[in-house]
Amino acid sequence: MLLTSVIIVIREVLEAALLVSILMSLCFKLDIARTWFKWGVLGGVVGSIGLGSQLGFISNLFGGIGQEIVDAGLQIFIYICLLYICVEFINHYYQRQALSGTLRFVLVIIIVCAMSREGSEIYIYLSAFQSLPHASVSLYSGSIIGLGIGLSCCALFYYFLLSFSLVRTLSLGCALLTVVASGMLLQAGKMLIQADILPDGQLWDSSALLSEESLSGQLLYALAGYEATPAPAQLVLYLFGAACMALVMLLRYWHWQGRKASTRASDDEK
Amino acid sequence: MMEIFRLVLLVVGVFFYMQAFADKPEFEIAIRQHLFEPSVIVVPANTKIKLWVSNEDKTPEEFESYELNREKVVLGGRRSLIFIGPLPAGEYPFFGEFNPKSAQGKIIAE
Repeated sequence: MLLTSVIIVIREVLEAALLVSILMSLCFKLDIARTWFKWGVLGGVVGSIGLGSQLGFISNLFGGIGQEIVDAGLQIFIYICLLYICVEFINHYYQRQALSGTLRFVLVIIIVCAMSREGSEIYIYLSAFQSLPHASVSLYSGSIIGLGIGLSCCALFYYFLLSFSLVRTLSLGCALLTVVASGMLLQAGKMLIQADILPDGQLWDSSALLSEESLSGQLLYALAGYEATPAPAQLVLYLFGAACMALVMLLRYWHWQGRKASTRASDDEK
Repeated sequence: MMEIFRLVLLVVGVFFYMQAFADKPEFEIAIRQHLFEPSVIVVPANTKIKLWVSNEDKTPEEFESYELNREKVVLGGRRSLIFIGPLPAGEYPFFGEFNPKSAQGKIIAE
């Protein structure tokens, strides 16, 4: 029970907390106010309990595939939000401005969605098993250990990202957000396959090389949605997601570089 | 514009209708006392199947398999549907994430 709860909580916490630490470190470096954080966490806790307690209802939606549809929907939604966030971060790099209402809202929504997805499972697990006799001590101590390990990893990661220069943190952060966001699409693909909306299949099997159950496999799963045996549809989604995001960011980068060049040229004329 | 919208709605509707009523073999597995019963299921290879997981315990369980790429929470006293395959012949272990020591099983595709 103890070990099981440690593993369950780490797995769920890592995924959402890695995303939060990337967003936090980028905001810190770009001088974007981090007032959104508390609302995101608060909303995430409420969302976890809400989603967790309504899972029975959600599961029955769409003829029994509600769980998959809601999970895939949340992940696709987070992907779209992250696309917007990356563009805004690049804008902030070239032109410092106060945190706009829209950006704050999108940041809060991302945290709420990411936390609710993961937290609802912890809520279901804890609320169901705490009533079992002799279980609650090991259940809660295991969960606290898991939470502690998960959050420590993310705190370390946050400071790791802060240890770079601004431009490097921004490039690394945007690259990481691309990986996280595309991983979300990959996992959304998994849910849509499970719901029989996308076709299943197996492109390759890299479990001998890096098993999903191993520690590094779990970490890579949390960061980039790693699958040892992905379906073709998942790879298509992943590549499409990564390409779209990279293209949008490059366009934004070129736009600002062009503007910089033209202002420099007009300054020279004067 | 309205016509196109209706057409899209019709196509999507027909798609889901076909998905729902397509002829897929069904299999049933129960969770009792944190154990899968039966713990081994033999399914036809290269065929999509419907796996019904009915959780007869009071506690929830998460049906999970790395090999099958599946994870789904089944609440206590509920029955859930999971689509699996088409699988190449082979063995695919699965487990219950909430009780990984006891709840273990495998699907054999042949």
